Amino acid sequence: MRASLDEKLRDLWRARELLRQLVAKELKVRYKHSALGFLWSLITPILMTVVFTVVFGFLIKIQVVDFAAFFVAGYLVWSFFQNSVQSSVQAITGNGALIRKVYFPREVLPLSNVLAQAVHFLLALAAISPYLLWTRGRGVLAHLPAVVLGILLIAVFAGGLAMIFAAANVSFRDLQELVVVIFLVWFYLTPIIYPLQLVTNEVQRSAVARAAYQVIRANPMTWFVELFRYPLYGIVQTMGDEARSTPPAWPGPELLVGATAVALVTFAVGYLVFQRNAVTFAKEV
Amino acid sequence: MVLDQLRGLVRPARERGPAIVVDQLTETFRLYHERPRSLKERLTKPLQRARYTDFNALEDVSFRVEHGESVGVIGHNGSGKSTLLKVLARILPADDGRVDINGRVASLLELGAGFHGDLTGRENVYLNGAILGLTREEVDAQFDAIVDFAGVRDFIDQPVRNYSSGMYVRLGFAIAVHVDPDILLVDEVLSVGDAFFQGKSLERMAAFRDRGRTVFFVSHDLDAIDHLCDRVLVLEHGKLAYDGPTREGVQLYAQLMGTVRDEVGPDVARIGSGDVRIVEAHLLDRDGAVVRRVAPSTTLTLQLRLRAERPVDECSAGATFETGDGRRLYEVHTTWQGLGIGPLEPGGAATVEIRFTAHLLAGHYRIGPSVTDPSGRIVHDVLPETIAFEVAPAPGGSGLVDLVAATAVVEGPSARRG
Repeated sequence: MRASLDEKLRDLWRARELLRQLVAKELKVRYKHSALGFLWSLITPILMTVVFTVVFGFLIKIQVVDFAAFFVAGYLVWSFFQNSVQSSVQAITGNGALIRKVYFPREVLPLSNVLAQAVHFLLALAAISPYLLWTRGRGVLAHLPAVVLGILLIAVFAGGLAMIFAAANVSFRDLQELVVVIFLVWFYLTPIIYPLQLVTNEVQRSAVARAAYQVIRANPMTWFVELFRYPLYGIVQTMGDEARSTPPAWPGPELLVGATAVALVTFAVGYLVFQRNAVTFAKEV
Repeated sequence: MVLDQLRGLVRPARERGPAIVVDQLTETFRLYHERPRSLKERLTKPLQRARYTDFNALEDVSFRVEHGESVGVIGHNGSGKSTLLKVLARILPADDGRVDINGRVASLLELGAGFHGDLTGRENVYLNGAILGLTREEVDAQFDAIVDFAGVRDFIDQPVRNYSSGMYVRLGFAIAVHVDPDILLVDEVLSVGDAFFQGKSLERMAAFRDRGRTVFFVSHDLDAIDHLCDRVLVLEHGKLAYDGPTREGVQLYAQLMGTVRDEVGPDVARIGSGDVRIVEAHLLDRDGAVVRRVAPSTTLTLQLRLRAERPVDECSAGATFETGDGRRLYEVHTTWQGLGIGPLEPGGAATVEIRFTAHLLAGHYRIGPSVTDPSGRIVHDVLPETIAFEVAPAPGGSGLVDLVAATAVVEGPSARRG
């Protein structure tokens, strides 16, 4: 009774109500106990922005116009990605009782985590947007379609990785501890607290910078952060000690095509890896 | 055209042919002795291979079920009943052989699957409904019927954390019975709740059967099977031992349950030194007949036939009594009662009787016989299969232990009821 891919996708389509209910559950459970509700999920990005702005904007002085706006535009998309994947690591191992007792397409578990995080992300973005409008001008609104496309692409990318990590954690239970370290390293290898421009400028000066540049360029999260930061913040054009940047701008076709390809391939690979393992989840968890 | 295809995706038309076809199904579980379960182990001991033995939970099982049939599945604990149900429910893949199912399936292996304590009853109805494969429209349409069936209308907007366990189970069950599939797969969910509730749920399943739907029902409750099913499958060690009319199947099963014979060959690892073996074990009533279902507080005899394989000066026979879900109720050994067995020469036999009164109420219970040395430190043999028996519901009491209560109004007016 090994179902074909076609049947599996049909199953997933039929389970869309379940997906909706699981997302609703995540959100309700999270906001039920606190009167402040979603303000809590805003506190982390705001606090991080304040701390990083003080440290890197004022003390270490990374040369960027409106450091807080620059940072938060990248940090929001990063934290959506990180929260999606981290909350999905235990999507299968943490739902053993359900998996042993009921059939449903297993991928709805990690995917519902990603969608629930997407809702938090949208709310946080909406709450932060007045600040971005104030600092970066009305161009932010004009470039909204690019932001929406960016959200879709990062969600697809995160969904693919969420499935891979959820399936891998069934075989390797210590992955959930390792993930924390992976994401810490990944965070610093993504231009969130520093502009990619800064690395480019250093390439000529040292071999270490050259190596770092290669890694950062190859890191797909770099593309998604850039994709997001162009329409929300603009393009950093710092030369030497003079901080400069353009107002919100459209991402170029290269960036769009690259990010789309990475998102779709990651999702497809994640889905296939997940499906290969999903048949035996009920025996393993 | 596209719309038609989309509709086909949402709910495929019921196809012709049998409802369930199982062809030479074998289901294998891997019992790991050693297994690298972490990346750390995998990296630090790259050469360590997983060591395991394969165990067939189901072996070469074939049968078919037509639309409109209701089929019961019975067998010992560990005979493969639940595994079969899980394969049909698609929870487990068919490792070998073929399983075809035609029609929309709902499987009830657990009540209230996925309930979250912080959500209200209403929210959980929609969540659990979605887990069971219902659309929102279907839950909307059935919502009032579900709430009334469960009898929790006053609490429906309270978090289920505040529900009593009875309310929780009733709500889970109410949702489950309002799923209206072509094929219903039911595990022992009926054995929860009080007698009234069990009756109500049986009624529901009978009505479902009478509407021409297919029911596939796994249970220990032979009365329910008898009431509901035209046909039974008896599973024994993962193999299909019987497939036919209910009455004969139930009789065969009763024999299997009341008596456990030593059919285990020497190649199968058994716990214990093997100096003394349990050859036969029977659960008997006062008249010496094998029983498996008794009234509360019936006096029963556990009869054990022992045979020595090596010379033994003295040994002790005993048994543990557990509830169906493994809670230890009682344990007894002949030496605790000041009685030793032996000396026994190789080939020497002894028959031991342990008489007890089952002060128990409705439920499933298991007895696990064993033979040890007098101190209880050296185990000679443990029967690999437990003896299962069932206690019928008692009028006028409920719970686990039959305290044989009597009530009286010693002052004030009273009325004789019923």
